[in-house]
Amino acid sequence: MRAHLFWWFLMLAVMVWYSTVTIYVTIRGVMDIRQMLRRLKDSRGEES
Amino acid sequence: MTNFSWLLDGSIVGLYLLGTMIAGVMVRRYVSRVDHFLVAGREMNVYLGIASLAATEFGIVTCMYTAQNGYDKGFAGAVPGLAQALAMFVIGLTGFCIKPLRESGAMTIPELFEKRFGPRIRWAAGVVIVLGGLLNMGVFLRTGGEFLVLVCGFDVKYLEITMTALLVAVAVYTILGGMLSVLVTDFLQFVVMSAGMLVVTGLILSQVGWDRLVGAVQTHHGAGGFNPFVNPTMGWPYVIFNLLLNAAACLTWQAVIARILSAKSARTGQRIFTGTAFFFVCRFMIPGLWGIAALATLTPAEVGGNTLHAMPKFLSTFLPMGMMGVLVAAMLAADMSTDSSYMLTWGSVIYNDILAPFRKGAWSERKGLLVNRLIVALIGLFLLFYGLWYPLKGDLWTYLGVTGTIYLSSMTTLVIACCYWKGANNWGAAGAILFGALVPVTYLVMEQLPATAPLTRQIGPYYSGIATYVLVALAMVIGSLLKPGAAGPTAGPLPSHSNQKA
Repeated sequence: MRAHLFWWFLMLAVMVWYSTVTIYVTIRGVMDIRQMLRRLKDSRGEES
Repeated sequence: MTNFSWLLDGSIVGLYLLGTMIAGVMVRRYVSRVDHFLVAGREMNVYLGIASLAATEFGIVTCMYTAQNGYDKGFAGAVPGLAQALAMFVIGLTGFCIKPLRESGAMTIPELFEKRFGPRIRWAAGVVIVLGGLLNMGVFLRTGGEFLVLVCGFDVKYLEITMTALLVAVAVYTILGGMLSVLVTDFLQFVVMSAGMLVVTGLILSQVGWDRLVGAVQTHHGAGGFNPFVNPTMGWPYVIFNLLLNAAACLTWQAVIARILSAKSARTGQRIFTGTAFFFVCRFMIPGLWGIAALATLTPAEVGGNTLHAMPKFLSTFLPMGMMGVLVAAMLAADMSTDSSYMLTWGSVIYNDILAPFRKGAWSERKGLLVNRLIVALIGLFLLFYGLWYPLKGDLWTYLGVTGTIYLSSMTTLVIACCYWKGANNWGAAGAILFGALVPVTYLVMEQLPATAPLTRQIGPYYSGIATYVLVALAMVIGSLLKPGAAGPTAGPLPSHSNQKA
């Protein structure tokens, strides 16, 4: 019975964590991409 | 019979593919240097890194095997996901190996090895990594195609053409934009993949119901479906082997490590690891639940002989029109992000390490970019012919396990010794690479020979896997100590480069 409860809580944690992270990463990821492209644009013409 | 509608679901899939291609091709103009192409100029921040790592490490092949684990082992089949999450979280928290690796400024793992073990070990490690990686990836395309055939219900004769078109689309944006295109499309694919997986799982939980899923596991697998230690096919060896395998994958699987090497700093890389760790539980739990749903709703006759096909067969009739398009778009997103990252990853090792002895003098950025693009194109061709037009024979799971272990056991030992043992030298490294290949290949050969097959069955793949890691570590220690004049440290601390970004 305890094993059943463990997997129930884990499944609940998976659904809550994954939903939250998907929304948060979607918003923050857009900001990361914009910042990355801006910095790469500034570094054009330099050598590796 | 499947619920896939070409008009409604096909439009959803087409829209996703169009969006991905536009985004992937558009960022190519930002690529002007080799380090832009290989590591996105080391400008990747935490949240983009989390999205990219999650999308890369979840392909259709992952979904198929984790669902099969759920069908065959119940909830206990999610143990590898728990092991990987634990390993990644601890490594991210402590910076074990990944901190010195990122601070060394290397673009690939073998490049780090040259600093301690010399150029020959760098080259040999590059060959092992590329061979293990490409052979492992060689089976992705066909498995992905089988999923689409089962879910969409289209004729098997179109499998090769469909997957070829998909691979060409992935190759186009990877060749043009390198890591930059991979990161941007990974991000889009993470969003589509996650939304699709969450919606499908929500539907299963609401329509099949948790009690019915638990009941099915209890009926078919008993207590072993919930507790790996009492499962007759698992037990302690299975758990220990998975802890070793997944810790090794976190430390040396080049597609994972590429995210650390592309990060702005070692600290950012560590945060990507701790932030993504729990995703690896989701990676096994969600498709595992889909597999359990197939166990609860399909008869063995409906599943057929291959339990790998249970989950796609279940989804093809369970999901309504419209939702099928969401599922197929999500799975295509998962597969494309994996394919693009892997093509670039193994390509970067070929360029950076295997071709290194043949580069006379410094190459211009233009020539470096051209060679990198050619390598990615050639890898695409290899995948096409090896994985799609030349179907593999035999047990796929054993094949994946063996190709993975050959690579992971030796490379993990080399990385740990390189970062933390000053007495490690090229003799030990060569011994580790040799034993890393020898033990799993010997096991595979013994498994095929009638005279030794009963013995290998008695040993089992988990004890054999654990033995590989132990023997490789011993080979590194004994080989290093045997080298004449190797009584004291043979190398100083790893040099650190100031390419950390604020």
